[in-house]
This record gives sequence, structure tokens and C-alpha cells, in this order.
Amino acid sequence: MSESGEAGLRERVHLLLQAVEPPMAPVDSIIRRGRARRLRRAGAVAGSLGLAGIIAAATLLLPPDAAVPPHPPLPVTVPASGIAGPGGVFASGTADGHAWRLAVENVADPGYRCLPAITVNGTDANLAQPNPRNYAATAFGPAAPGLGFAYVQLPAGVAGIVLDGQESVPAVTATVCGLRYRLAGFAYRLAHRPQVTAIGAAASYPLPSVGSLGTTTAAAGQNYGVWTNVGTPGAETEQGIVASGRGWSITVLLDAGGDCYHYESMTTPGTPQIGACGPVSTPAGPETIMALSLSYAPAGFHGPTGYAVQVSPETNRLRVTLSDGSTRLVTPRVVGGRKYAAFAVGTWLRLDRLTWLDAAGKAFASTTALPRSGYTQFQP
Amino acid sequence: MSDPRDELAAADVISGGGEDFSAFAVSRWPGLVRLAFGLTGDRWAAEDLAQATLARAYVAWRRVSRADDPDAYLRRILVNASNRRFRRHRVTEQPGDPPETAVEGPAELVSDRAALLAALRQLPPRQRAVVVLRYWEDLTDAQIAATLGCSPGTVRSQLSRALAKLRESPALGEGEDR
Repeated sequence: MSESGEAGLRERVHLLLQAVEPPMAPVDSIIRRGRARRLRRAGAVAGSLGLAGIIAAATLLLPPDAAVPPHPPLPVTVPASGIAGPGGVFASGTADGHAWRLAVENVADPGYRCLPAITVNGTDANLAQPNPRNYAATAFGPAAPGLGFAYVQLPAGVAGIVLDGQESVPAVTATVCGLRYRLAGFAYRLAHRPQVTAIGAAASYPLPSVGSLGTTTAAAGQNYGVWTNVGTPGAETEQGIVASGRGWSITVLLDAGGDCYHYESMTTPGTPQIGACGPVSTPAGPETIMALSLSYAPAGFHGPTGYAVQVSPETNRLRVTLSDGSTRLVTPRVVGGRKYAAFAVGTWLRLDRLTWLDAAGKAFASTTALPRSGYTQFQP
Repeated sequence: MSDPRDELAAADVISGGGEDFSAFAVSRWPGLVRLAFGLTGDRWAAEDLAQATLARAYVAWRRVSRADDPDAYLRRILVNASNRRFRRHRVTEQPGDPPETAVEGPAELVSDRAALLAALRQLPPRQRAVVVLRYWEDLTDAQIAATLGCSPGTVRSQLSRALAKLRESPALGEGEDR
């Protein structure tokens, strides 16, 4: 690039970044974040230095019963045959009154290429291919408070896993989409992530933290129903534009990290954009309605909101009712064998209702429980 | 009852190194947000990164406040955090659709910024960082190398690759000299 070209680029970079108008510095928030970081570091240091001493003291001072964890592992039921049952169920149980089941199933709409995934109660899928170096966990938040769900993919030769040295969960073989998995699944209390070790092998599986709010934006921080994977899930990635207009677009990227949407508006000053991931719905399960708001309260900025819904196979159109009483029909687009309907709502309007229409134009579901930011789930 | 470590942290803020952390944070905030926006192309991510950077500076405030060049320290934290974020959150780094062709009037400026943003987002994170540090922060090769933890030669090669890619960008290639 010539000198004048470089000068031009410098000028354009300056124009681009000077156009960004940061809000007031959130000093309190920064200091809170810094303090939390300092405490975590202090805790980690104390933990590493004191662990040996704590263990020694506990061994010496506590009666034998005290060595039992306060929350014993939750019981797990697995098929006695060692082969997944109907619907691909490889583990099930009841935890704090919540029945749960983990299964491997095809989550593509009928007629499309098979898309294998692990699901909890038939919904919130984790796309994963057979890979013995992968394990994952998720949480449902208010739908199953305090509970997490996890699975471990096991190599041949490992008979299963043990939770906290107490509860054995044998490996179960499951086949879907022509792929063969060896899995051990379980539920656990988020307050106590169990120690997971392989039977007959030294391997351990430190479960990832799930169900926490970790970032500053609500949409990005919400993660109930989204799986956190460790290792390589080996899932196929699908990506496509689900809606677009003059100067704006909503894309979806589907992989093991969930249905991840990206909404940007080139025609809005500052070219705002937002990305957020939500749970992967299954054809028969509840649908995730994602709101991607470009409004930004700290800056007093009001912008349009993008909406994306992963709709059921029988959905032919989605009728959108806005706060001014107007309606629009949105035709879903297929990405990765799944239907998505998406649209954008202008700055000064609000989405009031969504109505699902079948091929005959007949409404078969409707909801007014719609998010302004982040996602909610709805069973049509 | 407050945590004594919390009080210690508060004491750091009040007395750390002669410069009040709050004033430091306020003065550096706009520059960090803009730099982070150049690295990420995402305003929310930029503000989050700027917050995370200053939170780290808060933890190491004694060291930062006594550093010869606190801004270089902040830049290093921010660029590293941005690279970690890229590895964790692929989705927000997916290249967007090309912007629509510029139209006359004020929209031209908006469209030009959008084109540059789209072109920057096509670059790998390291090349993008080199471009932003050179053309926004006006750093030398050696300063960029110190920020990225690489050699000045690597900076030069990354920069020339980045410029070649920007030249190939349909949105920028024709207008680079204007």
C-alpha cells in the first residue's frame, strides 16, 4: 500500500473509531469486577496453599462420617441392557421432584439430513458426534432450579464413571444417524459439582461451570439450556442468513455452542450489532424466541430489535403483531435442516404477539410472552 | 460484615500510587472502548473488554500506577483479552454480509465506516490488532511487538499481509487513497 494509501487508511480508521461514543465510564462496575477478581485470586491461592493442610486437618479431626459429602450424588437409572432405550434414552432419574432423561436423537426436521444431538427431556440439544474426548453440562435455571445435567463420552474399554467415588454410572451404547456413541449421563446439584472419574482408568472429567451469568449484557449472559462443552464435540456447524433487509441482517450459526444469532444494522448510526446464543430446540420441543436488542440503556441509545425463532416443522408462516396494531407475515428459512423465522422491529415499535400458522394458513399457537432482550422458550 | 480483603482493595483505590484509580479509569475509558471496538467490531464486546481491562488494572493497581507507561500495560491486557475472547466466542467474529453500496450525502460517511469495519472483521485477530495499533494508536513496530508479545519482524509481516487483504477488499480497494 502506498504512503498516501496508508495515510488514507489511517484517516479512515480514525473516522471509524472516533465515531464510537463510549458511555460514561462505569467505574463502580469496574471496581466491583476488580474486587471479585481479586477475591477469586485470593481464594485460588488460599486453596492451593491450604488444601493439603485442610485435608490433613480433616483427616485428623473429623469423625469418619464427616468424610461423606453433604450432598450424595443423585441416583441415575440406566438401561440394564447397556443399550439406549426407546428415543435414545441413556440415563434418567428424578432429582428434587424433577424427572429428567438424557437421550441421543436426531434433531433435524423430518426430510432433512440427520443431525445427532444429546438432549435433556427431549429439548435443548447439544450437537455432538461420537468423540471420547468430549463431555458437557447444562442447566435449566428456573425450570429445574439448582440442578445441572451432564454427559461424558467414553472410549471403548472404559466401563463407566463414578460420581464422588460413590455412584457408579455404567456406559450405555446409543446409535443415531448411523453413529455409535458410548455415554454416561447424570444429573447433579449445581452447588456441588461431583468429582467424575472413569471406572478402571485414571481419567477424570472436571465439570464446567454452567448456569451462571458471566458477562455484562443480559442477552449474552443468559445461558440456561445452552451446553458448555469440554473437549471436542466434533459437531457439524451450519450457518446461514435467516432474515435480511436493506442494511440489516440476522444470521444463525448452529453448533455445539447453541443457536447463535448475530444481528447487525448497517443503516443505524454506529452500525450497532449484537450476538447471542440460545438453546437448540428440537422438532417436538419448546421453541426458543430470541430478542436481539440494539438499544443500549447506559448510552441512552434506542435502536431496533431483531427477533429469531427456531420454529417447528409444521410452521409455514409466523404472524408478527406490532404495538401499532400492524401485522406482518414472516416465512421461515431452513438452515442446517431446521426452520428459523426472523425479523426486525423498528426503534419505536414493540412486538406484541407471535402467531404460528400452518400450511393451510390456520393459526395453531400464539403467545404474547415475548422477551425484550435475551430469550424465552415457548411450546406451540 | 465486609470482607477484610474488600477493604484492602478499597484502600488501594484511595492511596494507590498517588493517582486515584477512579480518575485513571475515567480518563482511559473512552480510548480503551475505541481500541476494543477496533479489535472486535462489536460495541458491547468493546465495552465489556474495556471493563475487564480496567478491572485487571484495578487488581494490579500498585504496579500499574507505578509503571513507566501504564497505557502500554492496559493495551497489552486488552489485546490479550480480545484474543482470548475470539477463541471462546467464534460467533461474534463471523464476517458479516458486505454493506450496501454507499449513497450520496451523509449516508456516504456511514457506509464508508461500515465498509472499513467489514473489511477489518475479515482479518484474523492478530492482523486486525496490528492494523488498529498502527493506524489508531500510531505505535511503532517495536511498540506493537511489545504489546502482542512477538518480534518487530512478525509485526511487519502481519501488517503487510493485512494491508494486502485490505487492498483485495472490494469495499476498500478502490477507495484506499481517498
